[in-house]
Amino acid sequence: MGLRVLWIISHEGGENASIRFSRRFPTVEHRARSLSGSSYVAVPEDSLILQPLLTELGISSSNKSYVAQRDDCIYRPRSPALELRLDGEKTLWPVLNISQGSLILACLPLVDVPSETRPPLSSLLSVSQGLTLLAGLQTFLLGSGGKPYGDGLISRLEMLPSALLQVCPLGTPLDVPLVGVPTTPAVPIPAGTQKQPAWKTGLHRGRAMVNVAVTETVRSMQYGNQSRQDLWDVYGTVTCKCEVEGVLPNVTVTLSLPPNGSPLQDILVHPCVTSLDSSILTSSSVDNLDGSAFSGPYKFPFSPPLEPFRLCSYTSQVPVPPILGLYQLKEEDNQLRLTASLKLHETVKNNFEYCEAHLPLFNRNQMGGADVKVSFGQVDVSKEKNLLVWALGQKFPKSREVSLEAKINFSGQSPGPCDPLCTGLTAYIKLHFKVPDMTLSGCSVDQHSVQVYSSSKPRIATSRELLCKEYYIWNSTGAAPVSGAQMTT
Amino acid sequence: MAENWYGRMRRFSGGPTRFLSETNVEVFLTELLRELRDDRATFNLKVLLLSPLCEYPDLLCSSDSVGQETALDLMSVFAQCPRKSTQFRSHLLVALTCVLICTSCVRSRSHVALDFLDLLFQVAQDVSDVHNDDTSRSLRATACDCLQEMETCCPGLLSQRLELLSGLRQQETSRLHQVYAGLQTVVLKNAVYQLTQEPGAGAEHLKCLLGGNTSFAWEVDQDAFQTDSKDSAMLSSLIQGSMGMMPTLHTGPDCKELRSVLSSLLEESYLFTPLCQAALLHRLTEVVAMVPGIPPTIFRAQLLRLLGTSEVCLFHATLLMKCAFTDSLFSAEDETFLLKRLLVLSQHPLLSIPEKLFYMDCILHFPENRPISCSDSDEALPVLLTPQLASTLLPTVFNDSATMLARLHLQSLVYLEEGVEESRGLVYLYDHLTSMLNIVESGGSREIVVTFFRAAFLFLLYFSQVHSYCLDLSEQLCRLYLRHTRLAPHLINLANQTQERLPECTWAIGLLRGLQKGITKALLGQLSLQDLSWHLKVLTRVAEEREICQHCSLGFLSSVITTSPLGVGGDWRLGNSFLAVCRRVLLHPTLDSLLIPLADILQHLACYYGDADIQDHARLYYTLLTTVSQEKLAMMLAQEAADNGPQVKKRTLSSLMAENEGLTGALTVHQTETAVLCLTLVSSEGPGESGQLHEKETEDVTDVLEAYRSQFGEPGFMPDVTLKYQLVHKQDQDPRFEQLFNIRLHFVLTDDHYEQLQDINVPCVFKGRPPPVVQLRLKPRQPYPTTLRVSAIFTTQDGFSWHTPLPDVHVAFQQSFLPVPTPPSWSGEARLQLFERLWEEISSETGDCAVSLFCCQLQEAELNVLGNQRSMYICG
Repeated sequence: MGLRVLWIISHEGGENASIRFSRRFPTVEHRARSLSGSSYVAVPEDSLILQPLLTELGISSSNKSYVAQRDDCIYRPRSPALELRLDGEKTLWPVLNISQGSLILACLPLVDVPSETRPPLSSLLSVSQGLTLLAGLQTFLLGSGGKPYGDGLISRLEMLPSALLQVCPLGTPLDVPLVGVPTTPAVPIPAGTQKQPAWKTGLHRGRAMVNVAVTETVRSMQYGNQSRQDLWDVYGTVTCKCEVEGVLPNVTVTLSLPPNGSPLQDILVHPCVTSLDSSILTSSSVDNLDGSAFSGPYKFPFSPPLEPFRLCSYTSQVPVPPILGLYQLKEEDNQLRLTASLKLHETVKNNFEYCEAHLPLFNRNQMGGADVKVSFGQVDVSKEKNLLVWALGQKFPKSREVSLEAKINFSGQSPGPCDPLCTGLTAYIKLHFKVPDMTLSGCSVDQHSVQVYSSSKPRIATSRELLCKEYYIWNSTGAAPVSGAQMTT
Repeated sequence: MAENWYGRMRRFSGGPTRFLSETNVEVFLTELLRELRDDRATFNLKVLLLSPLCEYPDLLCSSDSVGQETALDLMSVFAQCPRKSTQFRSHLLVALTCVLICTSCVRSRSHVALDFLDLLFQVAQDVSDVHNDDTSRSLRATACDCLQEMETCCPGLLSQRLELLSGLRQQETSRLHQVYAGLQTVVLKNAVYQLTQEPGAGAEHLKCLLGGNTSFAWEVDQDAFQTDSKDSAMLSSLIQGSMGMMPTLHTGPDCKELRSVLSSLLEESYLFTPLCQAALLHRLTEVVAMVPGIPPTIFRAQLLRLLGTSEVCLFHATLLMKCAFTDSLFSAEDETFLLKRLLVLSQHPLLSIPEKLFYMDCILHFPENRPISCSDSDEALPVLLTPQLASTLLPTVFNDSATMLARLHLQSLVYLEEGVEESRGLVYLYDHLTSMLNIVESGGSREIVVTFFRAAFLFLLYFSQVHSYCLDLSEQLCRLYLRHTRLAPHLINLANQTQERLPECTWAIGLLRGLQKGITKALLGQLSLQDLSWHLKVLTRVAEEREICQHCSLGFLSSVITTSPLGVGGDWRLGNSFLAVCRRVLLHPTLDSLLIPLADILQHLACYYGDADIQDHARLYYTLLTTVSQEKLAMMLAQEAADNGPQVKKRTLSSLMAENEGLTGALTVHQTETAVLCLTLVSSEGPGESGQLHEKETEDVTDVLEAYRSQFGEPGFMPDVTLKYQLVHKQDQDPRFEQLFNIRLHFVLTDDHYEQLQDINVPCVFKGRPPPVVQLRLKPRQPYPTTLRVSAIFTTQDGFSWHTPLPDVHVAFQQSFLPVPTPPSWSGEARLQLFERLWEEISSETGDCAVSLFCCQLQEAELNVLGNQRSMYICG
């Protein structure tokens, strides 16, 4: 177990790459040398690592359309563990990496399984440890939102040596760096008999408060086509922020479903959950739905850390998508005729925080004239972006149905934006919406079901919301860029 | 000074070896340590100064003794450092650990290492720093980390302290109990492993070990654990997938003590960070696997919590546990559950892409309770993975490249097992490939193009026997090529790789034939220069195939050069592309039947092409074609002979090759594997002998000192040290290096004590003939011993150029001595007078002179040499 080296690299589309930070762990390297004997490959100096890494990631020499080393069609599992080809025949493996925007984080775990051939990644605990550390460092450097870098990154990079002294002083990852200091006043824990969790930096003092938020996200692909089945799925997360006194206070959050609600599946829990009923874990999305499956209530006893955390996540199979759409395009007389209709399902609360439909028309010349009529809402035509934005506001009309008709010609002189997934009649509507105080699965946390074993009476707040992500309605008169055969299971 | 240090540290971390080659390592290290002791330096700077020692201890401490001295220095810095600068003290402990482990001081149990261990234990037990700021880990935690690293690198080092460590962990209630637990676990695992290697060790020994009772019969034979093989065995993980040989300790069912230690560690494991928890579980898994007396069910209580975890390292530790214990801990239902979990995790929308890919890899190496295949690292699907289950991981065009390819790979394995004939899965995969092709066709980015070709290759790799699909793919690719000729290198690469990986499969030939057909039927009027040059690249590749008829290729060539304006334009590159096709056709087995069209093309190029070079080449090819028999032509042009055939021929023919073939081989500089030459010192005849001791024309010098000094004012007067070396072959060389020509020696300084050296040219070196003598003229700035890096470029008889490193040249201290530079006309008496005057002046220590002392360690022999040289010298 252990990491031999850690690199943090920034680049601009493969160009101007530079190593912003690197840390070698010579004692782990020392072990690597004695473990691999004659096949030992030393970690090269920083200046020699950039090019092989960028080549293997496929982002080197971005001005050349074909580079044999980079674009060879031979399949090698390229991620999460890369094999870097160094000078001569030497290769460095397994280089783990995480990229976000222009930042690449990479590390080289120790291979401590002796094997004639290369051992499988799954036999090396240091691989999952390395991935965990890299993800933690990424959050530390960029924040959980993954902001673009700038001064914030520079100051974070300056803090890295001292952060690493705490979380990975000698190559063995012990923890991930703390992202921020908890906002609540935390005091050191006085000596006592109760052992303090290593993941808790102090003790909360003051009024007890528990905040539980359920966020569901729905994704969908709708084709408006008899031969192709529409797809949608829902996943949810429960995030908590708990301010409760005590070294190891007990809190229990219970998720419940409405009667006949389909069971929560694929439940994953935070490590602070103390115990789980096995029935909670049985339902899985890879199984066929089973009527007799356990459908709650789902109890999660835990001892909270100081910072906000994701208590659990789940998926759910809901019978219908919240918004059903139909989109049709016709090319006639140098004009494109669009018709689109959207229907909000009756079970969905007609109360949005926002709801917008984006209709991109790429790979054409820029839009000339656009004649747009809608039954409801407002349309913003962005000619430079070849994009129609149909804002539906907070509510659908009473009928719960809206429609759009448009005639567009592309008489502009310069070409508009490109996207190979949106060419000709292969086009889509992408929805963006947020509905407060509802979930599709019906999953909710009752304020009274939150149990806190604490001396003072806690303030408890719960909330829910529905978001969408990757919600596409494809033009039914064109070929959607998916495989023709639908696998039905 | 501090500014200077920041700059130096930046340069060091930019390229440590380069930085150190420009300076004296020992001096640098000494300065570093001095600065660390300097009270004026800030702790921020000091932490920075420790980074070379923390990251490159073996570069700075070249030997154990340097390591020991450095460690002693650092320990004294530690002792003098105020207690409140925890951060710096922590870094110091880390640096010490790195230095001691990497210089093998720990392994050899040197005194300083043992002192450091004592120090670490002192710090680790020092509870007086309780009031430390709780957000940063205290010094105690770092001390424990260091102890753990020492134990990990030198297994068994702390096995006698197990009871102490256990006590420390139990007493500790702050967050620090985690580091104690980590340390205790590593020591425990290593100690149990050591016991398994002791013949006859059993329950009693285990009990004593845990009780720390070393006076009992068993005592670790420390020396026994210093052999390399054992050390490296103990460094590695014991859980290795297939049923490897797990060392076992036979204790019988009675091992209460161990059981209670394990239970208490497991109970507290919930309190650890996920990363530490995973490491702890892994080590305890190893311990339980080694001691059959402890049932694996000891982990049961933790299992449910672990099975539901969202943390990748905890789930991974659970999988490794399954690998070690199989059905003695995991029931068949558990196994099914784990596999389904992996499927869910491999596509979970909340997980990061690297995590999902890792989980997918875990499916391919799933630790089954009853594995059917025993192969060690080959990817094999678990029996439980049905196509229906696997269908959750079908690739889609919305996946990122890595995920899409990993999914395609997995599905290919699934459907390969299912039987391809009536597989709906295969239909899906092929449809998916087609969708990708459509995206490429509508102008996908470079990444999409590369991904598509990788996907196509994967598909062919697994399903090359399903002709209908492969045929269709080939047709679609040809169509794609004609729309996007820039994809030519991808297609050629795909053809090459499928031919190499699937030697019996003829798919690539079919593809190339299709491409040839498509190209030769293209309308010439619409052909752009760019298209044409890609077409010619493809046709060159097509001409390599013996089975493909070349008539239509030549027909295409002929019509291009005769009718298209592009054909005679005179573009040199394009001309070369024409010639490349012709050259390939010259080698084609059906050349006889192609003679007339090929000759026509060559003749046309020779007469009408707008570039003289191309005309010349075409004429040569034409001559060869019409005058040399096919066999001879093949022999002359075949490049296979390159390796051991007569190379002279290759060289003379290199001009026949197309630009991208043999020519580049002959033009580039090759690198020799080992040193071919070396410089050996010519035994000196005494530096004073160079004809300067003439007694004859004694010039009368009145003031010798004045005259002597006045020389230094003359421009260009600078004494240099001339050293003579023979340039000789190294032993046992490749015969082709026996005669070397036009050798150019290049010298690189490793420090700045001397001026840069000029390159030296030597006309030839023949083995068996007297070696040439080269003179190195060193212009010293400071007369220190030095090392020169030497390399040479030379030409061999066959016309190839080579680059070779030579062994370093070491210039010893005494070699930098020079006789006093007096004008040649001076008499011996004058020289003696000068010496005396100089001596007087130096002894009186008045005036502007300074005394410079240089100390260096000399071997006895060197000292004798010094003593024997009685002539007068001054250095440099």
